[in-house]
Amino acid sequence: MSKENQKGKTLLRALLSKNELGALLPLVLLLIVVAFVNPNFFMRRNILDIMRTASFSFMVAMPLTFLLASQGLDLSVGAVTSLGGIICGMALKAGLPLPLAILCALLSGALVGTINGFFAIKSNLPVFIATLGTQYMVNGFIAITTNNVAISNFDTSFKQLSQYRLFGEVPMPILYAIILAIVGQIILSKTRFGREVLAIGGNKETAYLAGIKVNQRRMITFIATSVFSALAGVLTASRFACAQPAAGSGTELSIMAGVIIGGTSMFGGQATVIGSALGAILLATITNALILMNVSTLWQSFIYGFILIVALYVDKYRRKVLSGE
Amino acid sequence: MSSEYILQMKNVTKRFPGVVALSDVSISLKKGEVLAICGENGAGKSTLMKILSGSYTSREYEGEIWIDGKKTDFSSVAVAEANGIEMVYQELNVMLDASLAENIYVGNLPMKGKFVDYKKLYSDTRAMLDKVGLELDPRQRVRGLNSGQMQMISIARALSKHPRIIVLDEPTSSLTDKETNILMDTIDTLRREGVSLLFISHKLDEIFRIADRVVVMRDGSVIATEAVSDVTEDQLVEAMIGRTIDNLYPKAAAPIGGEVLRVEHLTVPHPSNKGQNIVEDISFSLRKGEILGIGGLVGAGRSEVLSAIFGYITRGVTKRILIDGQEARIASPMDAIRSGMGYITEERKQTGYIWVHSVRENLTLACLKKLSRFGFIQKKQETDMAAEMFRMLDIRAPSLETMLVNLSGGNQQKVVVGKWLLSQPRILLIDEPTKGIDVGTKAEIYKIMNDLTHQGVSIIMVSSDMPELISMSDRCLVLSNRHITGEFTGTEITQENVMKAAIAS
Ligand SMILES: Nc1ncnc2c1ncn2[C@@H]1O[C@H](COP(=O)(O)OP(=O)(O)OP(=O)(O)O)[C@@H](O)[C@H]1O
Ligand SMILES: [Mg+2]
Repeated sequence: MSKENQKGKTLLRALLSKNELGALLPLVLLLIVVAFVNPNFFMRRNILDIMRTASFSFMVAMPLTFLLASQGLDLSVGAVTSLGGIICGMALKAGLPLPLAILCALLSGALVGTINGFFAIKSNLPVFIATLGTQYMVNGFIAITTNNVAISNFDTSFKQLSQYRLFGEVPMPILYAIILAIVGQIILSKTRFGREVLAIGGNKETAYLAGIKVNQRRMITFIATSVFSALAGVLTASRFACAQPAAGSGTELSIMAGVIIGGTSMFGGQATVIGSALGAILLATITNALILMNVSTLWQSFIYGFILIVALYVDKYRRKVLSGE
Repeated sequence: MSSEYILQMKNVTKRFPGVVALSDVSISLKKGEVLAICGENGAGKSTLMKILSGSYTSREYEGEIWIDGKKTDFSSVAVAEANGIEMVYQELNVMLDASLAENIYVGNLPMKGKFVDYKKLYSDTRAMLDKVGLELDPRQRVRGLNSGQMQMISIARALSKHPRIIVLDEPTSSLTDKETNILMDTIDTLRREGVSLLFISHKLDEIFRIADRVVVMRDGSVIATEAVSDVTEDQLVEAMIGRTIDNLYPKAAAPIGGEVLRVEHLTVPHPSNKGQNIVEDISFSLRKGEILGIGGLVGAGRSEVLSAIFGYITRGVTKRILIDGQEARIASPMDAIRSGMGYITEERKQTGYIWVHSVRENLTLACLKKLSRFGFIQKKQETDMAAEMFRMLDIRAPSLETMLVNLSGGNQQKVVVGKWLLSQPRILLIDEPTKGIDVGTKAEIYKIMNDLTHQGVSIIMVSSDMPELISMSDRCLVLSNRHITGEFTGTEITQENVMKAAIAS
């Protein structure tokens, strides 16, 4: 009996050691279920729609993967997404040319990222609370500057950023996301930077003693996360031709859930960008399926919360099995 | 039915993916007996003991455990504890930010009604600390203690539960002679009180001193069980590694050149006692090709000296460091590495390896810069480099891609040593070079140290292992009471001289 049990464990280990399966398996299951319930799901338009939604989350999820890999955390990504759209919108309204307006948005992200990084690295405050603080501050700032009024009526050139369809079919954000996924995965698994970030997450002291610039590396991951969040905000504004003060609010948890279920560990040291992409697709598919299956959208945040908790459990269990306990 | 044996483990087999860690192992333990277990790194000693402590549940292995002649199902740690079994693990396991008292009595706090009885807690703790020879305040935090002291705290925690069987997995690897003596006395007392002990150690002299019988393991099997009085040290070594070693400490002195490192006026604050220094205004130098040993008792500040030189601890440290006669500013490990230094730390779990990373990734961690071109790690070069070290240090693991968490303690240590060898330092600081390493590999590591010195590398070695300190050092400093209390060269380096200086004030 114990022999069989061990065999079972070995199989489980083999499955779990392919981290990305955490997102892939439920995705496949979900697709099968949805296919039965509503065949419309597989229409090309719908699939592209899901991929587009996933692309926006993934733009944040990619750098967030590095951040979690180094045992960091950022709850302000949603707020910074809103901020990016708003700053870009205001800059355009002030008459700045498009590239400069985008630059302003990215710089605002870099500023928030620097503040997050500073608190995480230099103070002993828990990152969780510190980035929650910046989330509120950024939301407050947006409310004050916009009076909670959306900015709209943009030029076509700005709208084209997200709305242009490659070959008349594929929305640009999908293309951006694919490029990001490839570049991100290469940086993570092939470069010294990626290895060092993973080492920091695996054991900060060991990494520091090995001569790795721990603080600098961590700072970069914080800043990158905020800059890409702001970029996601710019592209969201372009997509809806409207910069909304709450465009990104509430996205932080679902994006993080996608990253973790994709196989990146909250405990640091292990990460996969491709897994995060699968995680983003899974989350987008769930949202879409809920709509197609006529489930009230009010259920969405309940389900996201539930998925986050499941993801954390899977992560913890994965660690336990891999360590042979 | 009563039995001659308090404990029997019968036909235990335990598999991990790719490894049979134990195959058909049986051992038995009598009341009031000290049973030593020895064997090479990766032989299966810790795994066998983890089965006994309930860390692996009865569903995860084959075989039976009998207590007092009755078969018992070890389904959890709780079952083991209920049967009076306590284990002190090979890797330190303490709560750094809790008090000594809380660490010792965790899960077992004395209560008065609904509240913790702090008065009793502190007086009980005082008594336990006395038992293991620690003169510390029960209220103080564990953070700031050194590994020897933490080891003693773990032992006190096991003793506090008044077990019938105690398992000690390499308890002396971070202790110096003085603390080891205290531990040996404690074991003796326990034995007289009828407690049985299982004792794992790579130090054969300890086994001969304290054990009644010894079990030798190799590749997951028991290959001999003998009364200690019936075997010699050579026979044990041969049984363990399949060959004899004529010289356990093969020192081959290298030609010693000019001064490469000079440390002046080094002062390091005490890690736990605020306002005090652990070393004060010490100065010394290191010459090319030399092995400079540093001796002293646990808590004398030996590790802190290395950490301060390497720029790992900087707060409150004052120092002047000259390399090749030039003043060097070393404010971080990065600076130190740039100046050609390497540092093998004592605590491999906290500061030595990354447990979820592979052997390869751990080995190359300190030379990523060298291995990268335009920011990309040269995969082939990396694998080749790691593979060479893997062979050279005889690291026992299924492959280069095995995670460190799945390696035995001694093999993890080899990886940490290998990491710093690959960084090719000119000055190597080593804190306990052979901690947890078996006799055969120890000799290999000494040979590597010899080779390094012949290539002109200089080594500062902190060691609690007296024979190692005596035979490998060209020169030896002894620290005590914040100062250097002895400096010996060549044949002056004797146990007597070192001990005398270590307790001087
Ligand atoms: N969690 C694990 N997963 C996979 N393999 C493991 C695990 N723990 C131990 N092993 C393997 O089992 C074997 C026995 O390991 P064990 O830790 O019992 O050795 P040991 O005799 O205590 O060695 P050391 O003297 O180095 O401490 C080794 O080959 C090791 O690689
Ligand atoms: Mg062991």
